[in-house]
Amino acid sequence: MAEQRSRTLDRRQFLQLTGVGLSLATLAACVPTESTTGGISSDTSTTASTAPTAAGGTLIWLSHQEIAGLGPNDLGATMQAIVIGAIHNSLVAYDINYAMYPDLAESVEVEPDGLKYTFKLRQGVKFHDGTELTSADVKYTIDYYGDPANAATIQSSYTGIDSVETPDDYTVIVNMATVNAASLVNWASNPIVNAKYHQEVSDATYSTAPVGTGPFKVKEWKAAEYTELEAFDDYFKGRPLIDTIRMEVVPEAAVRKAALDTGDADSSAWPLLVEDSLALEADPNFKVFRTPGESIKHFPINNTLPYFADKLCRQALMHALDRQRIIDDLWNGAAEVAQSNIPPNSQYYKADLKQYEFDPEKAKALFDEAGWTEGADGIREKDGVKFAFTCTTITGDQARKAIAELAQQLFKDVGVEVQLAEAPVAEILQALRTGTMDMSIFNWTYSVGVLEPDPTNTLASSGGNNFPQFKNAEMDELCAQGLQQVEVADRKPIYDRIQEIFVEEVPVLYLQYDTWMLPFSTRVEGLPETTSNTYPLYSYELPLTKQQG
Amino acid sequence: MITTVQTLRFQNQTLMLLYFIRRLLQGLFIVLLVSIITFAIMHLLPGDPVQLLLGDGKIKMTDELRAAIHAKWGFDKPYYEQYWIWLMSLARGDFGESLVRRGVPVREMILEAAPVTAFLNIISLLIAIAIAIPAGIIAGVRRNSWFDYATTFSSTLGVSLPSFWVALMAIIVFAVMLGWVPPYGLKTWRGYILPVAVLATEQMAVLARVMRSATIETLTQDYVRTARSKGLVERLVISRHAVRNALLPVVTVIGFQVAYLLSGTIVLETIFALPGIGRLFIDSLGRLDYQVVQSLVVVLSALVVFVNILTDMVYAVVDPRIRIE
Repeated sequence: MAEQRSRTLDRRQFLQLTGVGLSLATLAACVPTESTTGGISSDTSTTASTAPTAAGGTLIWLSHQEIAGLGPNDLGATMQAIVIGAIHNSLVAYDINYAMYPDLAESVEVEPDGLKYTFKLRQGVKFHDGTELTSADVKYTIDYYGDPANAATIQSSYTGIDSVETPDDYTVIVNMATVNAASLVNWASNPIVNAKYHQEVSDATYSTAPVGTGPFKVKEWKAAEYTELEAFDDYFKGRPLIDTIRMEVVPEAAVRKAALDTGDADSSAWPLLVEDSLALEADPNFKVFRTPGESIKHFPINNTLPYFADKLCRQALMHALDRQRIIDDLWNGAAEVAQSNIPPNSQYYKADLKQYEFDPEKAKALFDEAGWTEGADGIREKDGVKFAFTCTTITGDQARKAIAELAQQLFKDVGVEVQLAEAPVAEILQALRTGTMDMSIFNWTYSVGVLEPDPTNTLASSGGNNFPQFKNAEMDELCAQGLQQVEVADRKPIYDRIQEIFVEEVPVLYLQYDTWMLPFSTRVEGLPETTSNTYPLYSYELPLTKQQG
Repeated sequence: MITTVQTLRFQNQTLMLLYFIRRLLQGLFIVLLVSIITFAIMHLLPGDPVQLLLGDGKIKMTDELRAAIHAKWGFDKPYYEQYWIWLMSLARGDFGESLVRRGVPVREMILEAAPVTAFLNIISLLIAIAIAIPAGIIAGVRRNSWFDYATTFSSTLGVSLPSFWVALMAIIVFAVMLGWVPPYGLKTWRGYILPVAVLATEQMAVLARVMRSATIETLTQDYVRTARSKGLVERLVISRHAVRNALLPVVTVIGFQVAYLLSGTIVLETIFALPGIGRLFIDSLGRLDYQVVQSLVVVLSALVVFVNILTDMVYAVVDPRIRIE
């Protein structure tokens, strides 16, 4: 069997095979010639190849996109958030197990009614320009980014704040006008900027030359090429062991894999192609961290269209999809079937929800029950409307287009016709928001992620990204209620009910949570065994070092 | 007699100047048209760049905030006003600011990216010319020889193989397998080797084919036969009579390469992770960064128009057959 299979290699398999075979060859070739590839310079001894060096060296991370900005306004893109996180600190942060720890704050006190937050700041925290962090910087950051007039992208995370007080240099009190349970997760993890400097240079300029308190400061920033950060000697938790971190931009996934194979890079901060990640997992020179993704791969569907308006039809479509097969055949098994809008590793995840097994017969029965019966051409129809629509995939997104193609075939088996189209992502998001697109496929979070279950933005009628045009009075009510409670125990029943509504109403056809796979060269030491949160791997709280040689 | 010649020369110079001014004005008009069309196309593209700031839903956005960001970018103004503002800043040599790379003037973005692409193109074009023209001549002169077959075969291959495939293969062979060059980037001069080689291969293939067919063509001309019949050495017949004339279409093709400056390197810049104009263009287009795309198109069209005028002027001065009327 194996022999037969190896004769029909497709392009990817060929690249994979040559890649695997070659990584061994280059490894052998790299040992004697010390730094043919360049980039890494170290004055420490290169003879002790197994022992980690005490300090020094350069870590090279790869990004798939340019690092367009370095300020709090640029947090939207994951790769930028990683770099911004190295330059700044926030009041609180989350570790590899998603446990919250105070960062710039020494302690955090939340009044039981959720209307007052008191932060005691650490003393002696230095900004990169040598000035000391005080409560005025925190107040300024919250006031500036929370002010609607400044139209910051993170502005909505400050919803509900009434005023910020600074009784002394190391105390910040935030008074809430309305309770917002998502506050700590949202704004307390936003970066704190240097008030005086930020005010002087304006927010746009700040994005090009930030001054934070973080373990690394900006050495050189070339948006489309690389961002070089150097260790900050006066970091309040002690200078990092590594001297320099370079985030280099390599758009092509296959080239990022090649760069890891040649040793030109130490990690790709954006995942590779799934098959390349699996190949690196089998390679002793790499450690691949697997974490469940926070976003759901799903088909957003316009619930106002006649065939999607009836929940029976939406449920039927779920039964018509063989979601495990999509994962096995099209995603190399590197995903988990989604059963809720909240990721399975969240403490709010409800395990015993209604499930949609693959069952075409049940799907047909549900369509029939809803009154959509097969016409002469085999396509279902009701009141003269055919059950036929277009699924628009993102231009060039071959991986997810394959899923749309399989869905097209599976839906056809139950009498539903799908046309496929392509469009740029900006067009798709806009068309869904305005309700002018039938269906698409991409990944999106229908909560705030693992830490915060609030889905207001995507599932409430008023949500800014309610792609499915989903309107449900109980959902709206629950979304509002959930943010009024600060205790997990009080919130849990609310989000249990939200998840029940989500799986019963099926506002979107939810498929899977992709497994996020991030490869690190084994030269990098100080990494944990496993992690459930990928950000801290790059967030430099870890005592990372790099083996030379 | 002398005065007549002087008058004629003077008249000719005045004519030249007038012609030059007319061409310049025409060129300006074309660039203006291009700016209007580009602006219209960019704003007709469906989609909202705000959506791209959100990550995969990690950043929340209310309708009020969306409106506030639009207002900050000036999108709430009518189109003609937005166009006018942009045109006026263009006239001042200021191309506006990027929506995505905030705080960085578009002019700076272009100035940062242009040298990478220009260097890549010039070096590879020079290499391509140096190899392809002699190869094309020899192939044309020794038609149906093994050299001709080899040239034709490799240039057909060079034209038909997609450059992204060639580039990926080159990375696998020369960076991963042999370790001679880095797989991406411009950290050292070695980083230029693969992209220049791949681009030069592509250009070489086109030039060699044109050179070969032009040589074959001129060798059948009467003046070549005349040269031979008057007993000229074959070497001189080819170098003085055939090749000189055969070079004209090749020069035209090389001229076209300037227009392909942008499109020709988008793929290579993406694969080899080079921060050039091609990637700036395609990235900005994808995220609807209006000012950047518009400004790039205008700058490039101005460049093409200017180069064209310049070429025509040079023709008029150099080639006695071309007269201004």
